[in-house]
Amino acid sequence: MSDNVQLKISNIDVFHGTFQALWDVSLEVNGGEMLALIGANTSGKTTLLDTVSGLLHPAKGTIQFEGKDISRMDPYQIVELGITQVPEGRRIFPEMSVLDNLIIGSYSAGARSKKMENLKQVYEHFPRLKERGKQIAKTLSGGEQQMLAIGRGLMADPKLMLIDEMSLGLAPIVIDELFKALREIKKRGITILFVEQNVRRTLQEADRAYILETGRVALSGTTAQLCEEDQVKKAYFGTDVCGI
Amino acid sequence: MGSGDIITPLVMGLLLGGLYALIALGLSMVFGVMRLINLAHGDLVALGSYGAYALMTVVGIDPIVGLVISVPAMFLLGLAIQKYLMGRAFAISSEAPLIIAFGISLVIQNANQIAWTPLSRALNTPYSHMSFTIGARQFPLSYLLDFAAGVVVMLALRYFLTSTYLGRAITAASQDKKAAQLMGINTNRVYGYAFAIAMASAAIAGVFLGMTFPFTPTSGVSFLTIAFGTVIIGGLGSMLGTFIGGMILGVFQTLGGYFLGPAFQMLIVYVIVLVILAVRPQGLFGR
Amino acid sequence: MGFKTLRQKINLVLTVTCVVVLAALPVIGAPQSWLLYAFLFFVYLAMANMWNLLAGYSGLISLCQPAFLGLAGYTLAIGTWVGIPWWAGLLGGAIVAGVFALLISIPVFRLSGIYFAIGTLVVPEALRMVFYLWRPVGGQMHGAGAGYMIKEIGGVSTDLMYWWALVVGIGSILLVRLILRSNLGLGLAAIRDNERAAASCGVSVFKLKLYTFIVAAVVTGLAGGVYYLYQGYIEPSATFNVKWTMTLLLATVIGGIRTEEGPVIGTIVVVFLYFLLARYAGYSLLIQGIILIGIMLLSPQGIVGVLRRSRVYRSVTRFASQ
Repeated sequence: MSDNVQLKISNIDVFHGTFQALWDVSLEVNGGEMLALIGANTSGKTTLLDTVSGLLHPAKGTIQFEGKDISRMDPYQIVELGITQVPEGRRIFPEMSVLDNLIIGSYSAGARSKKMENLKQVYEHFPRLKERGKQIAKTLSGGEQQMLAIGRGLMADPKLMLIDEMSLGLAPIVIDELFKALREIKKRGITILFVEQNVRRTLQEADRAYILETGRVALSGTTAQLCEEDQVKKAYFGTDVCGI
Repeated sequence: MGSGDIITPLVMGLLLGGLYALIALGLSMVFGVMRLINLAHGDLVALGSYGAYALMTVVGIDPIVGLVISVPAMFLLGLAIQKYLMGRAFAISSEAPLIIAFGISLVIQNANQIAWTPLSRALNTPYSHMSFTIGARQFPLSYLLDFAAGVVVMLALRYFLTSTYLGRAITAASQDKKAAQLMGINTNRVYGYAFAIAMASAAIAGVFLGMTFPFTPTSGVSFLTIAFGTVIIGGLGSMLGTFIGGMILGVFQTLGGYFLGPAFQMLIVYVIVLVILAVRPQGLFGR
Repeated sequence: MGFKTLRQKINLVLTVTCVVVLAALPVIGAPQSWLLYAFLFFVYLAMANMWNLLAGYSGLISLCQPAFLGLAGYTLAIGTWVGIPWWAGLLGGAIVAGVFALLISIPVFRLSGIYFAIGTLVVPEALRMVFYLWRPVGGQMHGAGAGYMIKEIGGVSTDLMYWWALVVGIGSILLVRLILRSNLGLGLAAIRDNERAAASCGVSVFKLKLYTFIVAAVVTGLAGGVYYLYQGYIEPSATFNVKWTMTLLLATVIGGIRTEEGPVIGTIVVVFLYFLLARYAGYSLLIQGIILIGIMLLSPQGIVGVLRRSRVYRSVTRFASQ
């Protein structure tokens, strides 16, 4: 196991009102890796990401980022520390221009000073965003909106990026482009924790994965390790994935 | 009624629209961001009028000059109200913000009445009763000043909302609160600033209103209705839309007064508001 | 309703005794001030119960109540000028209020909470101007404001007016109880909980809100009519005045919004405040406003909220609700 644990989630319970969404969940993310969270719709993936981002708080357990306890912090403080989320459904600001969406991504104090630098980087990953700078965000295609959402996340100068359901509703060719960008982002040293339903693709790209089932961690490990579990193979993966 | 030329009330209505926009811009922005229509907004505008009146009669400062004092004062008051009253109200229940705003509204009304009696007051300056002529027609100078002030504030707010980090944060929070939080925006603080800016614009509105029309402690309701009507016509959250809404409302009012008589002017505004609510609540420019 | 258990029988006896005592007050020679206190209590109670029904149980923060009580009052007054007997004017006024509620529901119901509040705020203001300008009967106006004396009621005893108030007040308690336990009440609870979910379950949101709004208007109108019957005079600026709304809001909030006992307790406090602040008429709204804000921030569930935390209260009310 790596010593380079950047995010450490320990035994958290998370509730939505009186409804318990996460049960004793523990998870570790190593610096610089690409970690996948796999699970069906009701598995609690988004709840987990929202909790890391500070939109929800665990009733039990702790979350540590680079050694600091972030379980009780407000969302804006967590962004300051270097964790940014690209939310499910993209959630770009629909009436603002592409450029304005990117700029607002650099709102937090640490990111502001590096605005121009990060903007250049984003344009390198996604040249199309530069072309469409003045366009109003809601008029972009699905794929372009996702690029914008990721670009916006990058503008916050993150150390860890949480990405929720990136491929939802997108064509395979677009998904390929996006994963290519993620690989480039990872190369720059940014840790990526991404949530997906598309298992096959996910395992091709991720270093490690956790499988969530109705609010609990069912399995975890590298692709190879996961493929060794027979039942898992049948239930989740099918042979073509593990035949890599 | 109905004799004489129609151009004068038409132009006056357009100019008046600038004043109405002034009153409404703050309300529009706060609603866009916080989904809160501040019931006390009209009374806060009246507070601005009375504040200017106090400065004028007690210290002898011209109302427009007095803005240097009243705008920051109202800004700070806005921060305080948001932090200690309205901010807490949101967490209590869905009806709490409304009820508290109602309470604030009446407290201000009564306070103004205690301080200044129910008699109507006006901000009378050497220039507030002058008129200017275009061709053969005379118009009150105060209307022109109102329009100019409306344009200035509208442009200033527009610039603020599109070109500064805080303004963009307010805009973002109004479009998607969760996403805004994920951008590192402290939404509570942003709400405070939005509310405070609305209060500052209410201070400005109060001054120009006071120079144009006499006011009483209960004028707040008419101000709120005008603001609400303007915002409904023009669509919430859009500064330019609000400005145009103000002009439309102003024209309807002056033309109504022209055809039906001055006593009906305020009543027409009320009826228009109700009709628009019945027919197209999202306004002409609303989304 | 079967009165089978002993508890229920005792409860019924207690309630009836209370009502009988209150009803007998004029007859047993209670002092005028007591009667006035009780009269106001019943009038405000009816209106507060209705406001609680709207704002507490249906999510409709209505600032429109002065419109209903004013229209009813004017119907009564104008009726007496054209020969309609006062009791017919009373009932007619309540109906007028109900019809008016139906009319304004068209613009105002398209709005949710906040918009609804402003929409309803505008209505009494508009009516104030209408009645200021419009003089439906009688000759030239003397003095400001189209005020009307209520005619032909010299023969009506104040005792009778008191009993009308009592019936309306107690009736409002029963009405609220009835509604909350009916299908209407169930639907309202569902709407308040989650409007969209309720709608997708087949709850006709608009219709239920409308029925509640109309019922509240009718009862408020009736109470208003009784009030003006007693006062004998009606004029626009005091009638279509936000002071009424403040009184009702305060009564409901102080007592405990969304509870059945709340308006009762709150109204007792408010009437008491009314007499206490009578000397400080100029400050009354200020003080009431501060109290309102204070209660919402410190104890949003009102007095009932505080009481419910004590075991004595809980056992008493368990007793009473059977």
